[in-house]
Amino acid sequence: MRIVSGGQSDVGQQRANNEDCFRIVPLLNLFVISDGMGGEAHGEIASAMAVETLVKACAGEEPEALAASAQMQPGWSDKTRRLFNAAHLANKKLYESAEANPEQQGMGATLSAAWINEEKLSVVHVGDSRAYLLRSGVLQQLTSDHSLVAEQVRRGILTAEEAEHSELQSVLLRALGTQPEVEVDAEEHALFPGDILLLCSDGLTRMVAEQKIAATLQSESDPGRAAEKLVAQANENGGADNVTVVVAHMEPKENGFLSWLRHGAQKNAGKNGSA
Amino acid sequence: MAKLTLMFEEKTVKEVSLGARPVGIGRSPDNDLTVDNLAVSNYHARVYVDSGKMVVEDLKSLNGTFVNEMRVERATLKHGDSIHIGKHHIKVDATGEAPASYGSGRQAATPKINETMVLDTKMRREMMQQAAALGERTQLASGRMRVPTLVVLGGKTDRQEYPLTSKLTVIGKSHLATVRLSGWFKPKMAAQINKQDDGYYLGAGDKVPSVNGAPIQGPVQLRDGDQVEVCGVRLNFIFRE
Repeated sequence: MRIVSGGQSDVGQQRANNEDCFRIVPLLNLFVISDGMGGEAHGEIASAMAVETLVKACAGEEPEALAASAQMQPGWSDKTRRLFNAAHLANKKLYESAEANPEQQGMGATLSAAWINEEKLSVVHVGDSRAYLLRSGVLQQLTSDHSLVAEQVRRGILTAEEAEHSELQSVLLRALGTQPEVEVDAEEHALFPGDILLLCSDGLTRMVAEQKIAATLQSESDPGRAAEKLVAQANENGGADNVTVVVAHMEPKENGFLSWLRHGAQKNAGKNGSA
Repeated sequence: MAKLTLMFEEKTVKEVSLGARPVGIGRSPDNDLTVDNLAVSNYHARVYVDSGKMVVEDLKSLNGTFVNEMRVERATLKHGDSIHIGKHHIKVDATGEAPASYGSGRQAATPKINETMVLDTKMRREMMQQAAALGERTQLASGRMRVPTLVVLGGKTDRQEYPLTSKLTVIGKSHLATVRLSGWFKPKMAAQINKQDDGYYLGAGDKVPSVNGAPIQGPVQLRDGDQVEVCGVRLNFIFRE
């Protein structure tokens, strides 16, 4: 599969600074977003540190952390294990930094990261940034929000509708950097040609309905432009928070014949143009 | 700069000023304010500045931390507040320090709602406990652990039965599909079944599947006993006890 991707992050309409952070590492097919929190500039520090640590650890530039191997599932691929470790390492770095620097007290960050290896997608997640997969027009949320209201919906205490209007939407049950240890969700999924992966911060999902997100992803063939459009939609709807969107398309590998046809056609078109 | 004065009855024991570093309070001598009393935990509480506000935080002490007679886990402090720990109390002097916006009403660690915040373990436990009574009722109603399963009623597949353990299930010819179809001209991904918080939803792939004989219009939630048909394969969706 060929992977084409793009991302966009924006401060939104109401916040003074952008505490979101994202990174696309094309060489690794690694996609990461993080939404930071904490007073002053510490949210920005937190999300940047989370993303940086995770990317470095996946690239093998950080010593393999001995993160809670008991929590790893035996069937996981090496890549999922490494990603899982990397998320734990990011938590540790943030926590230690906050402990060492009193002005960073209370800083933390969400994390959603997707790593694609061949046809296998590894996802890790802490907090309320989300990963989605759009497959044959169906938008499926891969991650479960670690927020109080989402947990209440899962337990049947709130309806999804009530949750959307709750004042407590920003209350997280888990985040990186707030505790010495954190529970990290990790999953593996098979990917199919035509699948579209979406990572986004809550600044998108609180402003734009899932139906609209699905429609935009489907209608835009360029992932970078899709990300721009989604960010613009969040801003049109009020842009209450920072908004960050990463989109990746799984494109079928062209087989030799198709590729020959296409390139042949392009060459011919070039000749015709110059003639 | 804010001042914290440790008092025993009406006598001043020690005075410290609050800077960037948290002020530790407890029985252990390495605290900034050492309180020599068995009712006080070794590391009992701490006071620090968070986003310009003074905050006292109980460090899971045995006998608790009180602000103006109210037990708190974490509370913002204002000038004139009194923190009680054991038989001692600590006077809070924040002259010229407290931000103007800071209200006079006491709010025990209430965060600004539109700012993202994380519940610490204790708060989390409490908030979830409040909701637990309701939650348990719901969980009891949903009964025992039941595994959603696809049972093959007809057509060529690689197995007779598929427990749906993953969030995403694909029915198709692809080697990555959960329910693998065999035969010529079968699509790689014929249909999909996705798990959501409230159940399992059947959606189209390259083909539009039918549920109980009717082609689906969009994703539909599967119910116990539904018959799914796609590409000549018939599957029974059931919950196995």
